[in-house]
Amino acid sequence: MGTSNDSPSVAVTADRSEPRARGSRSSTWLPFAVLASGGPKSIPLQRASAERICAQVAMRLAMVCVQLGLVLLVIYQYQLESRTFFNVMALGFAGFVVHALLPLQYRLSLFVGLSLAAVIVAFGPLNGGYLILLGLLLIGICHLPLRLGVRILVLILTGTVFALWRLEILPGPWSVAIWPILGSMFMFRLAVYLYALKHDHERPTATRTLAYFFMFPNVCFPLFPVVDYSTFRRTYYDREAQQIYETGTKWIVRGLVQLILYRFVYMHLTGDPMELHSLGELAQFLLATILLYLRVSGQFHLIIGVLHLYGFRLPETNHLYFLASSFTDLWRRINIYWKDFMMKLVYYPSFFKLKRFGPNAALVGATIVVFLGTWLLHSYQWFWLRGGFPLAPQDGLFWGALGAFVLMGALREMKRSRPRKLGGATAWSLALALRTVGTFTALCVLWSLWSADSVTTWLLMWGAAGTTSARELLILGGFPYRLANATSMLVLIGLLTLSWKDLYAPLAPAVASIVASVQRSTLNARDAALQHEGYYENLDNTSRMSAQLWDVTAQQARWLPLSATTAYQLRRDFLGAELRPNASIVFMDQEFTTNSWGMRDRERTLLKPAGVYRIALLGPSHVMGAGVSDANTFARLLEEQLNRPGNGNGAIRYEVLNFGVAAYALTQQLAMLEDRVLKFDPDAVFFTDGPHLAAPTVGHMLDAVARHHRIPFPRLQELMQETGVAALGRDGVPVLFDAGRAALESLGVKTRMPWSEADQRLRRSADRVIRVTLEQMSEVVREHGALPVFVALDNVGDPPQLPVPALHDAAAAGMLVFNLFDLWQGRDANALRIAVWNNHPNAAGNRLIAERLYDLIQKHSAELRLGGLSWQANRAR
Amino acid sequence: MTEEIKTIVKEYILHEFLPGEDPNQLTETTPLITGGVLDSIGTLRLVLFLEERFGVALQAHETDREYLDTIAAVAALVHSKKS
Repeated sequence: MGTSNDSPSVAVTADRSEPRARGSRSSTWLPFAVLASGGPKSIPLQRASAERICAQVAMRLAMVCVQLGLVLLVIYQYQLESRTFFNVMALGFAGFVVHALLPLQYRLSLFVGLSLAAVIVAFGPLNGGYLILLGLLLIGICHLPLRLGVRILVLILTGTVFALWRLEILPGPWSVAIWPILGSMFMFRLAVYLYALKHDHERPTATRTLAYFFMFPNVCFPLFPVVDYSTFRRTYYDREAQQIYETGTKWIVRGLVQLILYRFVYMHLTGDPMELHSLGELAQFLLATILLYLRVSGQFHLIIGVLHLYGFRLPETNHLYFLASSFTDLWRRINIYWKDFMMKLVYYPSFFKLKRFGPNAALVGATIVVFLGTWLLHSYQWFWLRGGFPLAPQDGLFWGALGAFVLMGALREMKRSRPRKLGGATAWSLALALRTVGTFTALCVLWSLWSADSVTTWLLMWGAAGTTSARELLILGGFPYRLANATSMLVLIGLLTLSWKDLYAPLAPAVASIVASVQRSTLNARDAALQHEGYYENLDNTSRMSAQLWDVTAQQARWLPLSATTAYQLRRDFLGAELRPNASIVFMDQEFTTNSWGMRDRERTLLKPAGVYRIALLGPSHVMGAGVSDANTFARLLEEQLNRPGNGNGAIRYEVLNFGVAAYALTQQLAMLEDRVLKFDPDAVFFTDGPHLAAPTVGHMLDAVARHHRIPFPRLQELMQETGVAALGRDGVPVLFDAGRAALESLGVKTRMPWSEADQRLRRSADRVIRVTLEQMSEVVREHGALPVFVALDNVGDPPQLPVPALHDAAAAGMLVFNLFDLWQGRDANALRIAVWNNHPNAAGNRLIAERLYDLIQKHSAELRLGGLSWQANRAR
Repeated sequence: MTEEIKTIVKEYILHEFLPGEDPNQLTETTPLITGGVLDSIGTLRLVLFLEERFGVALQAHETDREYLDTIAAVAALVHSKKS
């Protein structure tokens, strides 16, 4: 089924079970101990030749250092992974220089010291200390003077207590943030370590054990390859040190390239499976979904590359997996460490237990156990990293299908072996090329199932294949490897040159724009829509989120969504939810109070005082002021600025009423308008939304239909009928497709449209829903004698790359449009957002919004009829 | 004894996994698992062959490269089992 082929580059080289370098422990220390670690000490070195070799080694080491410096620059310029990652890598590269100059016998201890220091750097002394202590406890249990079975039992019991801490059922003095990393370090390595304790001839030393479990740079990679202990021990300086370092540098560069490519795929190629319109878009989606794996393989290359810098010549983690010629071949190439782990601990033991039933039966049994185990262990891994235990049907289908394909190949090979070559590459043939293309295509299809929100979504997605379009089909994979073949130095210089966009932006603005988009770890349009509106807060299946969104939400975990607080309450009508009146809580670490009208605002009278110009401000979380104090919402700041002496237009006073509620869709703003805004007799109504307003609007409409809430706007009601999604609100069993429902209805079975199908249908008409909503808003506000304004405002980030139709629709509906999408452009995002992982504007960001709105209000004072009010105000005096 | 085992194992590997390859290229130190000659199915086939041909019983952990990565290591394992 799998092979343990480590790397083609060492294919026919004799494998040394004992490190060469050990022979040099007693050798005289040279200025560059790498020489001592690499040279065969049985050959006496003449002084001249020793000096020459020493100079060569120094030059090679210097080149590695230069490349690592460039690597750091690339990480900084492209903001790869996290800030912790940069800090830890800087520590690691500085440590490498010292490490490489030390005599061999001290290097492993330095590696342990660096690994533990990295834990402290990442988590701080207190939480880092707890992590190390809990880890030492687990290692201690492995070495208890008890039978292996008893030690395993004690570990399981300890793991259960840890799980209760992980779920925060048991209180602990540490941050919950330590669990993903502690889990990552121990959840699989403990099993491998116990296996080695039982079967390896060589007993582990304390230093090596600490090096294995706290392995640098695990602290910034929760998703870490399952390193085999025996391989970890056996490959330590088992080749010339320089060769190991150079291989490591090459893999680090390969990892960086893949991570940047991943950013490009994530930002520009992925999409929403429910919004695919043509075969071309479907093909692009399928391709992009599998290409997202570049992040995992990029991280793994990077991790193993870093470990090479410390002498661990570990094998490749992924090997040209897009070029697999069968699923059996794919299993050998993709995430090789996982395959080796499962082979060693599950497959071979299962086969040996079952082989009395015959080799084929044993093969079938062992393969089933391996793929079932892989499915469950992925959920187990998810538990430690995220705290849930997802067992989605599409996961079962994916692993089941993959297992079946691999098993077919394995049974064929059990019967007739596939021919191998001694150390040679496989010759090209048309049949091989066709098999490779076929395997890749099938893999794309299977991978899309694994990544789908649900099996239903996946099935609906294929509807797009009915409409043909040739565009986007030219995007083909494979380039990472061609790039990786270039020298590491050229690649690094190329990446750095690209990162300084000012050099070429005037000549190639499109390239500069793409590079800018991959230089930050941000969310793509789909995920940004989920986060921006707080919509993800309502998702009950976060396990299906993309890896990037996973990072964001994992860091954000300690901030409760507003819907989980007492300041939020649901309603059984079209509005859906609102702020609870007179609430006073701490939300996102800030004071959060509401007035008696359920507004995040100071107390207001329903009756508008004479001479007051009222602006009603509606919108989602950034209008409500998520992450800032009551005094720092831009509504409050704008009101203060307008009322500052000398700033007004002669009016006695301005009031900016904040009706913002987190996660409000555009249709909820319309509902809020009728529910209470008009009662306050506003002079202008500012509706606010970002560029990703379609998904939450569709979600709100579907929610209303499904919950049988009356839609009080006839034109929106008509749209639900026209698109057919009104069938979502029927009573009956959910059945896919009109034909399916009709067939069952004819048999007397009551049916309804499933949510996913309704979602797909309405998303295709989302622009119409938004247009109708804006028209309705404008009409209602004007009927009231006020002025409707559409404020286009996003969270801190780049302006949208594609045109936002809502801007045009709002203007066409007769609204005044204030476009603030470019507000954050060219500014330091970190100084304007509430956290690295949350782009809501902070106090400074809110002040910036208020200032821009103030300017726009001044600029459009005539349309806003501020002059008329000035006259009224003077008369009131 | 060990030499005889080596010869038999080498013939088996050449016949089953390396048809058409130059026998001289396959030495007793050529890496079999790490060199890509034996994948997991190949390893299992070799284990079944050794058990049947030499009448020995292997353990699951003896599929590790430490025991089966070279013809010399395979011969040593079989020899230790037989003696």
